[in-house]
Amino acid sequence: MDYKTVLTTCTYCGCGCNMYLEVMDGRITGTIPCKTSPINEGKLCIKGWNVHEFVQSPKRLTRPMLRKNGDLTEVTWDEALDFTASRIKSIKEKHGNDSIAFLTSAKVTNEENFLLQKFARAAVGTNNIDHCARL
Amino acid sequence: MAGLAAAFGSGAMTNSVAELEDSDCIFITGSNTTSSHPLVAMRINRAVQKGAKLIVADPRNIQIAEMADIRVHQNLGTDVALLNGIMNVIIRNNQHDLKFVESRTEGFEAFKKVIDHYTPEKASEITGVSPENIIRIAECFGSAKKGSIVYCMGITQHTSGVDNVKSLANLAMLTGNIGRSSTGVNPLRGQNNVQGACDMGGLPNVYPGYQAVNGPAIREKFESAWNAELSEKPGLTIPDMLKGLDTGSVKALYVVGENPMLSDPDTVHVEKALKAAELLVVQDIFMTPTAQLAHVVLPGASFAEKEGTFTNTERRVLRVRRAIDPVGDSRTDWQIIQDLSNRFGFQMDYDSPEDIMKEISDVTPSYGGITYKRLSGDGLQWPCPNLDHPGTQFLHKDKFTRGKGVFHAIEHKPPAEVVDDDFPLWMTTGRVYAHYHTGTMTRVSPSLDEEIKEGYLEIHPEDAKNIGVGLGDMIRIISRRGSITARTLITDRVRPGLVFMPFHFVECPANVLTNPAFDPVVKIPEYKVCAVKLEKVSYN
Amino acid sequence: MIEEIKKQVRELLTSGTIKGFLGLREIDGHIAPYLFCDAEDMDSMNLGDYKKPGDARYPLNRILIHLLSHYPDEILGVLVRGCDQRGLNGLYSLNQLDPEKVIPVGIPCPPELAEACECSRPYPENRAVDGQAEGYSNQTLARIAGLDIGKRFEYWMNEFARCIKCYGCRDICPMCICRECSLECGDLVGKGDIPPENPIFHLIRAVHMADRCVDCGLCAEACPADIPLRTLYKKVADIVKKEFDFQAGYQPDAKSPLNVLDQ
Repeated sequence: MDYKTVLTTCTYCGCGCNMYLEVMDGRITGTIPCKTSPINEGKLCIKGWNVHEFVQSPKRLTRPMLRKNGDLTEVTWDEALDFTASRIKSIKEKHGNDSIAFLTSAKVTNEENFLLQKFARAAVGTNNIDHCARL
Repeated sequence: MAGLAAAFGSGAMTNSVAELEDSDCIFITGSNTTSSHPLVAMRINRAVQKGAKLIVADPRNIQIAEMADIRVHQNLGTDVALLNGIMNVIIRNNQHDLKFVESRTEGFEAFKKVIDHYTPEKASEITGVSPENIIRIAECFGSAKKGSIVYCMGITQHTSGVDNVKSLANLAMLTGNIGRSSTGVNPLRGQNNVQGACDMGGLPNVYPGYQAVNGPAIREKFESAWNAELSEKPGLTIPDMLKGLDTGSVKALYVVGENPMLSDPDTVHVEKALKAAELLVVQDIFMTPTAQLAHVVLPGASFAEKEGTFTNTERRVLRVRRAIDPVGDSRTDWQIIQDLSNRFGFQMDYDSPEDIMKEISDVTPSYGGITYKRLSGDGLQWPCPNLDHPGTQFLHKDKFTRGKGVFHAIEHKPPAEVVDDDFPLWMTTGRVYAHYHTGTMTRVSPSLDEEIKEGYLEIHPEDAKNIGVGLGDMIRIISRRGSITARTLITDRVRPGLVFMPFHFVECPANVLTNPAFDPVVKIPEYKVCAVKLEKVSYN
Repeated sequence: MIEEIKKQVRELLTSGTIKGFLGLREIDGHIAPYLFCDAEDMDSMNLGDYKKPGDARYPLNRILIHLLSHYPDEILGVLVRGCDQRGLNGLYSLNQLDPEKVIPVGIPCPPELAEACECSRPYPENRAVDGQAEGYSNQTLARIAGLDIGKRFEYWMNEFARCIKCYGCRDICPMCICRECSLECGDLVGKGDIPPENPIFHLIRAVHMADRCVDCGLCAEACPADIPLRTLYKKVADIVKKEFDFQAGYQPDAKSPLNVLDQ
């Protein structure tokens, strides 16, 4: 029998509601609001109650893609990352650090935001990093 | 946030959400709270049940306004005038907190000089709110013992966004409603981790923890922590990145989990800029309209597939936990970035997000005391400078972050675009209860899609009659930047002369219409005001 | 009390009587629904008490239906209070659960919780531990019933006006088992705006609760608008009790009179 509940934080608005994702046999099957949360105290909005629904959508991207002859084509991670790293490197050499810009995300974690701005600043050498805080 | 940083020295929600329950007067402006922050609305409802006064100022007649003691519908882009009018009456009635003003603030005299001009009558002329209602709001908020101000994008998404926020800060300082529990100036952050993205230095001018990139001592600290040479030149904001792509000074754009094709104003121009990029990399979980333009698409993992933390609107750092493995061949975003960095030649070897958090707390003073272990239970609210610190429920207790609070003397400025004979209707944009942002996630969620399947235009019955359209008819909406079609929703939620559109729907993308004119300081576009005209769509 | 429960669950697991026990555990500073499969795993067990008795109760029966439909051959134990036992009785009679597959482990509610719930029977018939609080009569309902009809209507319309249409009352409910939900039927209630069409939205659900509600109160605790849903459903249940002498889950074998009418 494989059933567990995993405590996490909602990915929609800025309230930061806590919920349990129900997982059975490796698939998320439902959401239960966390009663002991200091924020939502066991309540959720309609988005929170259904936050698990998009996760396993068949529309999710599952393979890296590269544009080849005008079309996005599925490739391996190695090919996608090697291509990206070498293109950023050659643009940096040719046009300078500040010809490269990064949009980080209000959707990803703190740790991921930290890492991307570190990559922009320390690896590429530019402060061209922003996100849609303004939206 | 720049408005609050200028006034108080710290750009974040000053107080905590739960404290709202114990306020005796809550002033909401520019926030459709029940739709966009439902669990904040819960606390406000509870305060009202306990007898608190509720004031709602919003151009539309939103749900929470139904519960208000005083509700007013100001003209679009007239928030400064409304607030100045309210403060004029508070000073005239001697309801301001002179002791607080004298001991904790500066700039009051210059501020007062401007405020003295904004009689209720003058404010009424600009805002369309009656002088009587301005006086009622002033008397109500002026007599509050624990007054809270709550606002959202309806305040910030204007060319005068920073001025609007500074004016709210003025109101809080004038009445002494800051630095205590159940008071404060409380911006509700729109996205789950927008606070965290700012905290982590996802901004062109600051490192993590709002440490300026052009401060030599700070730069040296990061140079030694990261063993790299760092630039002291502040970077580009989104509007400037797009402009740079247009003019050729920016060649490559790397986008993680953002969708500027739908989220940024003047879509036609955004598309042209993105197409000009020599390299466009998009790391996302869905094939967004932005990803469709990319040279490289990297499949990231959703929140349910990773460990980490989000920081909510009240500065509370909360754990995110992995429920399932990343779907298909997708990877967590931190692993993608680390792998890319290593191939690029900059070594990163974190073994987990917890490992990254250790570095965050080392270099970010406000996160200094944050560890995963300490985040069990209620999480921690920054500033939390060390391991013994319990976190901070509300800011500016005995002194402001910057020392003294600053009053800013602010004049009303009209929005960048106003109605005229060619474009006679005001349009504003916002969210609906069942959808979120560009709809990338909510519209593939069957339960949410079932609730609202398509975009629409809210229009007052009078305007609908004038144009000759009925409920659910298709209508063309035209601004100086473009035109789109949508169905009508005829409702008195909007007043005559004002229309509203949600911006979640790719088939009727409201941001084709919106004005990219932005606030000169923080570069927030004026999503909340543009001028449009309507045409009936005829079927042949 | 909890040590005795742990002991009994341990015995059920080690003897192989049950494959797993659906209860609650304390983890990461929170209380979470948890399927105990290992007798050695019992230390973190919690009965749903966080800051106050019973303030961290979860819809275990709802999860149980989900588990047993996925693992139809297994026998599972489940933690039950009085309301949960009524829920099991109701779900047996609605053919949602097979009593052969369920071993309830019953606990009585402390008086503080019973009073807060105004629960008429705050204990299951079979209890794993001693003790039983007395039942409480429904003062809140009596108070609202005492208002004249105009005031009563105004009271409820004011409460419903705060609704943000989260469907949480339905989504948390261990007795909401319909595959197609009338609340989502566009012909009955309009879509696309909040508050939803009132009073129809809430009355549709109230009618559906009349012969179902076991008075667990999880709906009211899940409501982000703090609408006193429990009181509303107590009212409709009260009507069914008076008219048909039926109370959901109180008599294990009784069938709902509304089902009988259906047939």
